[in-house]
Amino acid sequence: MLNYTIRRLLFTIPVLLFISFIVFLLLDLAPNDPTGNLPLTIPPDVRERIRQSLGLGEPIHVRYFLWCVQFFVNEPLNILEQWTGLQFGSGDRLRVQSWATRSPVVDLIVERMPQTLWVVGMSYVVGIIIAIPIGVISAYRQYSWFDQAGTFVSMVGFSVPTFFTGVLMIVVFSVHLDWFPSIYDTTHRVTDWQSFWFQVRQMIMPVSVLALFNAAQISRFMRASMLDNLSQDYVRTARAKGVREPVVLLVHVLRNSLIPVVTVIALGIPQVFGGAIITEQVFKVNGLGQLLIIGIQGADIPLVQTLTFIFAVLIVFFNLIADLLYGILDPRIRYE
Amino acid sequence: MDYRRLFIGCAGGAVLALAGSANAERGADGHVNIIYWQAASILNPFLSGGTKDIESSSMVIEPLARYDQDGNMVPWLVDEIPTVANGGVSEDLTTITWAITPGILWSDGTPFTAHDVVFTAEYCMHPEGGCQQSTSYSDVTSVEALDDLTVKVTFSTAKPFPYGPFVGAESPIIQKAQFQDCLGAKAPECTEQNFGPIGTGPFRVVEFRANDVISMEANPNYRDPSKPHFATLTFKGGGDAAAAARSVLETGEFDYAWNLQIDPAILSQMESAGKGTVIAAFGTAVERLMVNLTNPSPDLGDQRSTVKGGPHPFLTDPAVRRALSVAIDRNLLSEVGYGSAGKATCNVLPAPAIYASTANDECLVQDIDKANQILDEAGWARGSDGVRAKDGVRLSILYQTSTNAVRQDTQALVKQWWGEIGVETELKNIDASVFFGGDQSSPDTFQKFYADIEMYTNLFSGTDPETYMNNWTCDEIPSPDNNWLGNNMPRYCSSDYDALASELGGTADLAERARIAKAMNDLLMKDGAMIPLIHRGRVSSHSNALGGVILNTWDSELWNVADWHRQ
Amino acid sequence: MYFPIVAGVFRRKVGEVKAVDDVSFDIFEGETLGLVGESGCGKSTVGRSILRLYDITAGEISIDGAAIGQISGSTLRRMRPAMQMVFQDPQASLNPRMTVASIISEPLEEHTSLSPEDKLDRVGSLMDSVGLNRDFMNRYPHEFSGGQRQRIGIARALALNPRFIVCDEPIAALDVSIQAQVINLLEDLQAELGLTYLFISHDLSMVRHLASRVAVMYLGKIVELAPRDTLYESPRHPYTQALLSAVPEPDPEREAHRERIILKGDVPSPANPPKGCTFCTRCPKVMDVCRTVPPAPSLLGDGHEVACHLYPSGSGLGNETGTNTEA
Repeated sequence: MLNYTIRRLLFTIPVLLFISFIVFLLLDLAPNDPTGNLPLTIPPDVRERIRQSLGLGEPIHVRYFLWCVQFFVNEPLNILEQWTGLQFGSGDRLRVQSWATRSPVVDLIVERMPQTLWVVGMSYVVGIIIAIPIGVISAYRQYSWFDQAGTFVSMVGFSVPTFFTGVLMIVVFSVHLDWFPSIYDTTHRVTDWQSFWFQVRQMIMPVSVLALFNAAQISRFMRASMLDNLSQDYVRTARAKGVREPVVLLVHVLRNSLIPVVTVIALGIPQVFGGAIITEQVFKVNGLGQLLIIGIQGADIPLVQTLTFIFAVLIVFFNLIADLLYGILDPRIRYE
Repeated sequence: MDYRRLFIGCAGGAVLALAGSANAERGADGHVNIIYWQAASILNPFLSGGTKDIESSSMVIEPLARYDQDGNMVPWLVDEIPTVANGGVSEDLTTITWAITPGILWSDGTPFTAHDVVFTAEYCMHPEGGCQQSTSYSDVTSVEALDDLTVKVTFSTAKPFPYGPFVGAESPIIQKAQFQDCLGAKAPECTEQNFGPIGTGPFRVVEFRANDVISMEANPNYRDPSKPHFATLTFKGGGDAAAAARSVLETGEFDYAWNLQIDPAILSQMESAGKGTVIAAFGTAVERLMVNLTNPSPDLGDQRSTVKGGPHPFLTDPAVRRALSVAIDRNLLSEVGYGSAGKATCNVLPAPAIYASTANDECLVQDIDKANQILDEAGWARGSDGVRAKDGVRLSILYQTSTNAVRQDTQALVKQWWGEIGVETELKNIDASVFFGGDQSSPDTFQKFYADIEMYTNLFSGTDPETYMNNWTCDEIPSPDNNWLGNNMPRYCSSDYDALASELGGTADLAERARIAKAMNDLLMKDGAMIPLIHRGRVSSHSNALGGVILNTWDSELWNVADWHRQ
Repeated sequence: MYFPIVAGVFRRKVGEVKAVDDVSFDIFEGETLGLVGESGCGKSTVGRSILRLYDITAGEISIDGAAIGQISGSTLRRMRPAMQMVFQDPQASLNPRMTVASIISEPLEEHTSLSPEDKLDRVGSLMDSVGLNRDFMNRYPHEFSGGQRQRIGIARALALNPRFIVCDEPIAALDVSIQAQVINLLEDLQAELGLTYLFISHDLSMVRHLASRVAVMYLGKIVELAPRDTLYESPRHPYTQALLSAVPEPDPEREAHRERIILKGDVPSPANPPKGCTFCTRCPKVMDVCRTVPPAPSLLGDGHEVACHLYPSGSGLGNETGTNTEA
């Protein structure tokens, strides 16, 4: 397995380089101009100077190479310096700079990470916690009222867009009931119980909107997988052994059913880092998703390039994790 | 109704501002929350042209003079506005000398001097800095400090309106000590400085989170010891205009929301919740139709939409342009799309008041019959398909604009009215980033104008219309020769107009300038180079618990944040 | 044993499949009862119903005089050690995520209070007794061959010292060479442990080798039940005759003269079985009465029982001790 992992990791290097180039090319070819959103009062010659100052005058391969050096050499060195406190070289390295904020992209991402992981990550965890029991019960009592209700809720959660449920929740819980804040305070710090309670209150709406969506998806997978396994012969064997029903369900059926579901969950984790563009926008969580959308709107190519590439890395990485998990969870699969 | 609300808003604000000043202690009113649905990216307006960035930074860094809500200049860090009359502007209009008010301190406690002003000019005029406000410094040859409190700006030509540098929110002063290592190509690397400039304004930055939120606190060294009234301030960004409006008008979480471009019906419904007030003010923004006077036919290849390609087959006929204008019900367009943020206009230069012409008000009232009559008289007869034609030329128009719900509504209405006068219209909308993007390779930019009519809003910042009116001189016509750079979208060219433009450039007297600018506006309207539709205002809202707000379209909306107070 | 048929939007019950209907037989201690019939006739359902892997619709099952037909939950679970099953598909019937040791020891966890070492010991000895190397204890089922997997299945079934084992086509999924090994193992274990088997198969020659008595099923009913030799030498029911005529003879001389009875048509749907005798649609000796009246079983003596109108009802069934099943 170790060999397999190393081989896979080595193989990801050309893949990621290729992805980064394609992303760069796509962004470059897109009809997008970093000065496009500036007020019309700024005359064309100033716009041209701004473009030049952003490095847009260079040919594409030079810019791509520059980005590669900044991202693959300068940024890691910088992180290393911060961690170890050691100094490598002059320390005066050009980092990947966002055009809109003129600050290092990596710093922006690090700044955004907490709220995205808290809100989107929490919603993922909550979604999984809700989805698995629903999936199990729905499958075990297939066609019962619980299953029907679960199917209905899943369909609603899956098909109703988050910008609708989000705004609906704001109108009900913020405007009419005044229970929760409609705008997420990213500067809030938890220091005591009261501030913790505030944090919980401001997280409830975005988390539940996203959790509903996640749970809808995962519970469907869970149910299908459970149904698949419930009719397997070994389940009957377990019953013939005289194993207790909860044990049959939880040890035999659930553990086998979780194999594909765990894979699906692992593959979904990069989306957590990707943030939830729409939900973050609705609740003003201003995490990575919002950062990405602002970058796209403002044609902030270094920011978009770096973010999409990091997402690509995460996706490739979690694909590998999912494969390895599969191998660990399912003894029939061995990687050599 | 719009006027009344605006009036009440302003009057109320003024009274309360006076009442508020009685509260003598700085920071006594606690915390204020401001939401801009576009988040601030940077607090250095020289590196960002975005309104959100200019306005958020305007609470921290300030210009020497700024504009009030009526477009009048008010001294800010100086004692008086230099003019020819008081000797501040030289007789030949090539220099202006500012005298800084003594005793002003930066928020770090160091004195504010003329050297900071000189440095600011140097910073923005640096050729490698990519300064986005360099238009403010156009024609400036030198900026020098005569002494610690006197700055002299010299222009290369006579500047009848020498208030470009250091006036208005776009041209604030930054601290030399802080930014001296950030000149030129190094400007973008000074993240710390760009995120937390030291200023003379009422607030100073505590924490800046790019594209998210800014935390500020009262500047302890602010020149008025009783201001600002708020001790701390949060400037939150993100979301959309509707959510920002909701947070002020419905939930009351925020005190001030900027630029609420949303369906006017929704806005007034939110206002009825009683937690906040919608305020509006009008600047110079005009939504207009640009008429292509050159031929956009694709058959022309490279010559398409250029003067070389020849005149437009039918839009060069004044009767057609006049009929198109008269057929439009501007009041309905305003009501449908803009609510309190719009009013019908027939001028491309609608404000400030001294420049507003009344000579073209024919178009304020829609008259389909008259439009039909004009076309009949001009010999455009309806064909069997209901579309007018003359000499084999059909009145068929390609009408383009950027993608935007209000613009598409406007397009649909205009298409219907033009249909009633026998003009066929094909609608097209283009993503704003492409339309306004200036990408040389895209055929869909507003400069290339590969259409018969295009619609967008343009405006000028500050109060002086000279640069704006110069947009329609002959040498501003975009063409492949100048990389399509140029602001004369209609490809309008008139020797009379160019003569007026040069006359304006040589006149310093304000009343005389107003006369010339009006004449230019009227000439443009008479020649039908463009069809103005809506004078667009800005709509913002503040909570009923916030006093002292005076909406200002000539400067930053937050220009008087020092006077804001709890009520 | 009836299975409901549901259909429509609201899943109303619209009918039922009489998978097994009106079946009654005994299995005597220490014997092997062969249960034969073509696919879909209900053999496996009988086997699973006896072990109460299905809830029976009506009737009674008793083991050693204890009625288990209607008990459920923990009461039923406590009866499990006495009766076990060996399944047809050794691959599917073993949990792929459990090691052999945990598969075999799981019933021990549930029903005994052995210490971990004792359990391991027991697993080892079970593996020995089915001819598996005990070193393979920590391997997973997929690492074994088909025959080995079936041995695991058998070891698992033996773990709790059952007295009665239902072998549901235990060799159908195996190679012929392996089949013999498994059959021999089953025979050896029977001799050694005194087990009682219900041996379900469609392989008539294997049943002839193994069973002491044989029951023939057709469409959910037992049509003939007799001691092995009686059945194979003088089958009475037309269906049994047809079935046996299909067995190839090893002697080419006799094979050449073998008279095959070819049945025409398909097996009717168990959801809609024919009125009267279920075999009437295909029976070569069908009579008018067959189409209207279902035949009652008649005892021909010598434990030979036939449900056919050709053999009018005689005396009743002898009821002896042992396992009595009606489902």
